[in-house]
Amino acid sequence: MLNQTASKRPLARKLVARIKPNSVISEQYRTIRTTINFSLPGNEMKTLLFTSASKEEGKSTTSANMAIVFAESGKKVLLVDADMRKPTLHHTFHLNNHMGLSNLLIGKGELEQSVRDSGIQGLELLTSGQIPHNPAELLDSPMLDRLIEKMKERYDLIIFDSPPILSVSDSKIMANKCDGTVLVVNTGKTEKQSAIKARDSLTTSKAYIVGVVMNNYKLSKDHYYSYEYNY
Amino acid sequence: MESTFNMKEFFKNMKKRLPLIIAMTVAFVALAAAVSYLWMKPVYEASTQILVNKAPANAQEFSMQDIDTNLQLISTYNVIIKSPAILTEVINELGLNETVQSLNERIEVSSIEDSQVVTLEVEDESMQQAVLIANTTAKVFEQEIRNLMRVDNVSILAPAMMTASPEPVKPDPLFNMAVGAIIGFMLGTGLAIVLDQLNTTVRTEEDIDELLGLQVLGIVSPVGDLGKTDKSSKHTDRMELDENVESDSVKTAARPKVGSTY
Repeated sequence: MLNQTASKRPLARKLVARIKPNSVISEQYRTIRTTINFSLPGNEMKTLLFTSASKEEGKSTTSANMAIVFAESGKKVLLVDADMRKPTLHHTFHLNNHMGLSNLLIGKGELEQSVRDSGIQGLELLTSGQIPHNPAELLDSPMLDRLIEKMKERYDLIIFDSPPILSVSDSKIMANKCDGTVLVVNTGKTEKQSAIKARDSLTTSKAYIVGVVMNNYKLSKDHYYSYEYNY
Repeated sequence: MESTFNMKEFFKNMKKRLPLIIAMTVAFVALAAAVSYLWMKPVYEASTQILVNKAPANAQEFSMQDIDTNLQLISTYNVIIKSPAILTEVINELGLNETVQSLNERIEVSSIEDSQVVTLEVEDESMQQAVLIANTTAKVFEQEIRNLMRVDNVSILAPAMMTASPEPVKPDPLFNMAVGAIIGFMLGTGLAIVLDQLNTTVRTEEDIDELLGLQVLGIVSPVGDLGKTDKSSKHTDRMELDENVESDSVKTAARPKVGSTY
């Protein structure tokens, strides 16, 4: 089970950056990567949190694809499913979820043995682990700080996928511990008020907000083609 | 938040809602057409002309003063034609089943300034009836004016005629449809504005900047547009593009990390 390779089943469709590396969407993820790289203060961002105001705004998809394009650029990337309430990473990469973040946080197992190969060069995965009763308390423990330190030694970039910030406190805790936070917004679905509240919670958590990814952004036709020619 | 009215934004939204506005306009034109052609009964109009001219006692004394007198009389006559004195008689003579008031509303009396000709127009759902009423009114007026004014200066110039294929004056479908188009367009635009105001979701990169003051790192198109093969024709263009991309990636598969340059 440990260090197992991702199964040979086809990757989930939402891993666009992997399945269709030349598609417009993959290019959009690379553009975001570039923007994040440029907005780094002193290039010291090693932990990046992806969160959103409410559920189903595209955190998991965005973080997974961002992890892929960051790995593509030659970085050694670890993608962590820090959503211990509704974990999805193991579904996306067709892994089991017997061991993962939650187990490490209660002191069971070692990071080296818990990470999985993603089948993508430079990208390793850490699933959420078994769903605990008290995710917020687990995250708020010094255990996480030590774990993050350990991750930073092994990887160039650690990307955390987290629960919605407005429903539970997990993301606020994580945002505080991460170097940067990216807010994912579901264009046309996220309420303006929710977005403002999410921003305020992050500010209160003393998170460094790198910026916003506008997910599900329907380009108009002319916009679409001009975007095509832009790169 | 949206403190200023942004004209550019407004037109952008209108452009986006153009199908709605067009649909509303077309719907109202169709409604106006349906009402005009199917629901409203056609109304016909018959007109007769009455000449007001007192025959002078002897032909040589036909003076300006006579004409002036006649002209002054015309405004009085206009009132008299529509008075119950005349209309009651018309109703009795034709055995009409209506009141003086309702008949009054269907009769229009007009005269061009400084002209001695009075035009009498009658509207009715039947052309025949309209002609009949117009002619009867003119005839009754011609007779009654002798008793009322003790003058004999009214003669029928041109009686109303029944035409072979009468054209209804009302409804005017084109006019109604034009009004329908204007109303539909305005309602559509109004609805678009309301819908726009009701939509409180984050929709544009400007929203992020204005509301949150945060940087937009980038946009991601809907993933649903990729990979599905049973997409509706709406996405045909995009699908074709994806297929091109696919074949490209096959061709270049030997080269690692094709898309990683930026």
